[in-house]
Amino acid sequence: MGTADEQSTLREGVIAGVPVSVAIAVGVLPLIVLFVESIGPGLGTAAYQEAVSPLYRGTLLYSLGVGVVVTGVCLAIAYPVTYWVAHRCPRRYRLALLVTLTLPLWLNYVVLNYSWVWILARGGLLNTVATSLGLIAEPLDLLYNDISMFIGFVYIYLPYVVLTLYVSMERLDYRLIEAARDLGATNRRLFLDVILPSTLPGAIAAALIVYARIAGAFATPAILGGPGNVMIASLITEAFRQYVDYGFAAALSFVFLAVVVVALLGGATIPQVREELRQW
Amino acid sequence: MTALAADGLTKTFGDERAVDDVEFTVDDGEFFALIGPSGCGKTTTLRLLAGLSTPDAGVVRVGGEDITDQPARDRPTNMVFQDLVLFPHMTVAENVAYGLKQAGMPAADRTSRVEDTLALVEMSQFADRDPTQLSGGQQQRVALARALATEPDVLLLDEPLSSLDRALRAEMEAEFRRIQRDAATSFLYVTHDQTSAMSMADRIAVMRDGQIRDIGAPDRLYERPQTRFVADFLGDATVLSGTVTEVDSTVTVDTPAGTVRADPNGQAASVDETVSVMIRPESVTVGTGSITGTVIDHAYKGFFEEATVELSSGGQLTVRRGEDSTAAVRADGSAAVGSDPGAFAVGDSVRLQITEAVLVEA
Repeated sequence: MGTADEQSTLREGVIAGVPVSVAIAVGVLPLIVLFVESIGPGLGTAAYQEAVSPLYRGTLLYSLGVGVVVTGVCLAIAYPVTYWVAHRCPRRYRLALLVTLTLPLWLNYVVLNYSWVWILARGGLLNTVATSLGLIAEPLDLLYNDISMFIGFVYIYLPYVVLTLYVSMERLDYRLIEAARDLGATNRRLFLDVILPSTLPGAIAAALIVYARIAGAFATPAILGGPGNVMIASLITEAFRQYVDYGFAAALSFVFLAVVVVALLGGATIPQVREELRQW
Repeated sequence: MTALAADGLTKTFGDERAVDDVEFTVDDGEFFALIGPSGCGKTTTLRLLAGLSTPDAGVVRVGGEDITDQPARDRPTNMVFQDLVLFPHMTVAENVAYGLKQAGMPAADRTSRVEDTLALVEMSQFADRDPTQLSGGQQQRVALARALATEPDVLLLDEPLSSLDRALRAEMEAEFRRIQRDAATSFLYVTHDQTSAMSMADRIAVMRDGQIRDIGAPDRLYERPQTRFVADFLGDATVLSGTVTEVDSTVTVDTPAGTVRADPNGQAASVDETVSVMIRPESVTVGTGSITGTVIDHAYKGFFEEATVELSSGGQLTVRRGEDSTAAVRADGSAAVGSDPGAFAVGDSVRLQITEAVLVEA
């Protein structure tokens, strides 16, 4: 009866194999093309040497730094928010609140960035309200600087962090918190001993999800940042469009990809983090 | 000495008075049970005592000191939660040490206290295990040790055995009693299981609709409950309504089961008044007596058999009989003898005598 089994295994292999091959081809082929481009016709490392030269290394580090800071700010906001929604908010408002918090996820992020231009501009909402209330005499320059860029980043990526962290936060048994309080824990100990150990995998997963996207973001620094806020994505785009130096652009992309993948793999070695990442 | 006192505790959720003017005291070293059907407010009362919830009115005292405004972490009470909530990221020993660490006890003292407490609950060999590696009963012992380690004045237990199976529950009940005696700590034990409460507690408070309906020793509550609710909640009871015909040291009541002489049970009854008489199944002797009736249903309960008897004079009585009791008399007058002489059968005629009855509030 082995033949029937072998036939069905073969059929299953073909049925599964076709879409898997297509998926791999579509996903990996551009990367291969890009990689071939980056090493150029002569199998050289010139493009890579330029990509990690001090001039561009600064931009790379700045991008990664922005990623770290924005991710940190998002987590700092998401912790109290998700704690409150998961454990203190009356159950019947919970879903509505969660949907409201994650509403920006459903909008195009270019539009989201421009909404902050409208709010922060000299003639924008915030300045108009503040001047008419007499809080400030002259409109402030809130746009096209670090502040506006960071606000835009936090606004756009906070929903991802909230959603990811919420899953772990909700799984945390509230009675553990009560038990710790009952045994004399201060709020600080409560956070360090009970809340953090239970939610850390969720927090790391959230960080891994948004960190690379922030560091590699193009629209937010372009729309809300100032002339000094040059991030890696702008550099790569410039290399492609303005200098038409495909090899260099590709090499830059791969250096960035390598940094991100190393961080991801590092995080994913923790089994609990892998568990949290599975939902994405 | 009074260890814990609740005085006029009231807590309202919306329009509902979850806890309504609750008042009781727990003595030093006493095992006190707070029982009632689910939703009666017993867990809310416990949370008010633990400081996990704030009362709308009333005072909580521990050792005579008013602690109503103290948060849970400052109170000399510890709580054992329903469903075994141990800190999952800590070992058994770390769980037990947690309260001591928060209190700032030096590490060396802490280690010896943790050892002592784990020995008390017979879990010494599991000190380095993770909570997830333990069985339900073992987790419950650790939860108990964690709450006892800081030597609280009163231990508050919220249905700690409800998630265990029946055999383990019985074993743990005996253990709780032993640990309570050995630790010489006052226990306030909340449960909906009247059997556990009666087997463990020195005194029991019965709650219903946010109010305490009766407080007393288990035998007093079982034999002489003040109200019909308490009588029913603590065990099987037949409550008959009747008219008082005579009052002396006992009250003679004319009921559907015939004339019953009942203990007044602290109630002032007068002739011609309508009263309720409570009769426990074991207070009815089967085989002799002036009351006659017919078995309409029966059930085998292990060490005894229970029957519902329709009385000739109307009304019903629940009766019990052990295996060695006098045989019932069949409808045709023959004794029901044979392979199972103790068994009731539907249609059997029985003679009954009520040996004990008490007046209760309807």
